[in-house]
Amino acid sequence: METSRDDFIIAIRSAFLKKGNQQKFSLLSLILFSIIFLILGNYNFKIVNYNRDAIKEIIYFSSYAVNIPENFIKKSINKVSDHFNHYDNYLITKNQLQELKNKDLEKKIISFENVELKKLIDDYFVEDKQAYAKVLIDKVSPFLRSIVINKGSRNGVQAGMAVYDDIYLVGKVVEVNFLTSRVLLISDINSKVPITIQPINLQGILSGLDEASGQLQYIKKKELIIDNFEKLIVVTSGVGGIFKSGIPIGEINLVDNLINEKLVVNFYRDFSQLKYVKISSHIKENINIDQSNKKIFKENNSQITQLNNQAQDIEVLKQQKVINEEIKFKLQSENIRIKKDLINAQKELSESNKKNKENMNKNENLEFLELNLLFGHKCRKNIFKPQLFKINTAEYRACILNKGPTKKN
Amino acid sequence: MNNSKKYFLYKYTPAFLLFTSILNEIDFNSEFKYFSFNFAYILIFYYNLKKEGGIGYILIFIAGLFNDVVNGLPMGISSLSYLLLCTAAAYLRNITLRPSLIKDWISFLITILILNFITYSYLILFFNYEINYFNQMANIIGTFLLYLVFSYIFRFYDDFLLGKAN
Repeated sequence: METSRDDFIIAIRSAFLKKGNQQKFSLLSLILFSIIFLILGNYNFKIVNYNRDAIKEIIYFSSYAVNIPENFIKKSINKVSDHFNHYDNYLITKNQLQELKNKDLEKKIISFENVELKKLIDDYFVEDKQAYAKVLIDKVSPFLRSIVINKGSRNGVQAGMAVYDDIYLVGKVVEVNFLTSRVLLISDINSKVPITIQPINLQGILSGLDEASGQLQYIKKKELIIDNFEKLIVVTSGVGGIFKSGIPIGEINLVDNLINEKLVVNFYRDFSQLKYVKISSHIKENINIDQSNKKIFKENNSQITQLNNQAQDIEVLKQQKVINEEIKFKLQSENIRIKKDLINAQKELSESNKKNKENMNKNENLEFLELNLLFGHKCRKNIFKPQLFKINTAEYRACILNKGPTKKN
Repeated sequence: MNNSKKYFLYKYTPAFLLFTSILNEIDFNSEFKYFSFNFAYILIFYYNLKKEGGIGYILIFIAGLFNDVVNGLPMGISSLSYLLLCTAAAYLRNITLRPSLIKDWISFLITILILNFITYSYLILFFNYEINYFNQMANIIGTFLLYLVFSYIFRFYDDFLLGKAN
């Protein structure tokens, strides 16, 4: 018993501590190194992060370099098979092209309508930042389905940005280095994408299942899917704000759903064949302001302020005008009233003048009559005084007013 | 081929294969839906069990770091599992008097089960990874079954380079 324990200890010690001819470190020290690496990985130290990023950059590019021969062989094989299938593919493509042309017009109209409607409900997103990247590594790990792309923080890539192959969703950026980034594919079990099933409009979460398919989770009313006979399309719902709504992902496999209890989604894209991908982030249209637009925005703002000021001035002027008009109206009415008064006054004046004249005439007549009584005999023509004047003649009147005929010298 | 070239190939082929399999896109995980295996485990265990110097612990440590970076795992986890695999292989080499492929094979199974247990536990507990156990089980079974095949191939290759007497 004692001997076997000694043997075990010797064997363990030998395994852990003995260095071979070429070994510079014992196993134990390297295991400790690994554990230190793991522990440091849990903490966010700047120096550790820089070193880790540097190691990652080196390994990504060396991995890409090592992959070049294999990629070349793969490409060559694909090219040869493409040549063999060329004519068949041509016929298929020709038919598809015709069908697609027909659908394209319809799609354009629907897209415009969709944009208009989204704008109405304030859910219209436009691309904020976008970049195209080459896939450096798409090695499938047993733990993580991800790809490494050749764009990093230097190119404006940020964690959480959506990654597309054409218009189809591929995944999201989960790790950003200076020159490279890692994209978590939606086929990974850790990927959780909020989705909508169209046309039945069911909400849920899509998680990765295997390379070509995903599994729907947290779906209420599963019977709607299972009893359905239409083609069901899975698109992003936009919940959570990471992905915009309406990005196509795949179709629900009705056959699998009938066999298994799992709700399986077949992806539109084959993630093992990715070569180039598009990375982009989205913002709502009304806050899409880049540097060049900012200047225009500022100018527009100042113009708007000026216009607002002018509008205020105009408003003041309008009020002034109203007041002026009121004053003018009052003045006019006053004027009219004064004119009327004037006319009345003139009338009165003319009447009074007339009366005055009449009175004067009357007075003259009265004076004439009085003088006539006194001096009528001196002016009246008779047999004895034929040189005098006849009654009611102007000479007679002048004679009366003169109080008798004028004496001749 | 002269002896020095043969010895060079004998010495560095395992390391070359290890790094190539880790850095290259020759995927051992994606070709078939329910079949995958861990080539690095087989290579490291076999050569550390059969050769005194093995592949070289530093190279294995670096290869582990490479594997972590390429596969997007926390850095150090593969190095730790590879080095623990080396430990198990070295221990077996020390206690074994009469080598037997079947015993090696069973020991390999126990070792990779323990290693995967450590790896999964670490990933789940500290990094909140969600793991598809069905795929992992398929990977372990595939690795276990192919150990036998690859050990024949490696032995044949070594015999070819050094001759059966060695």
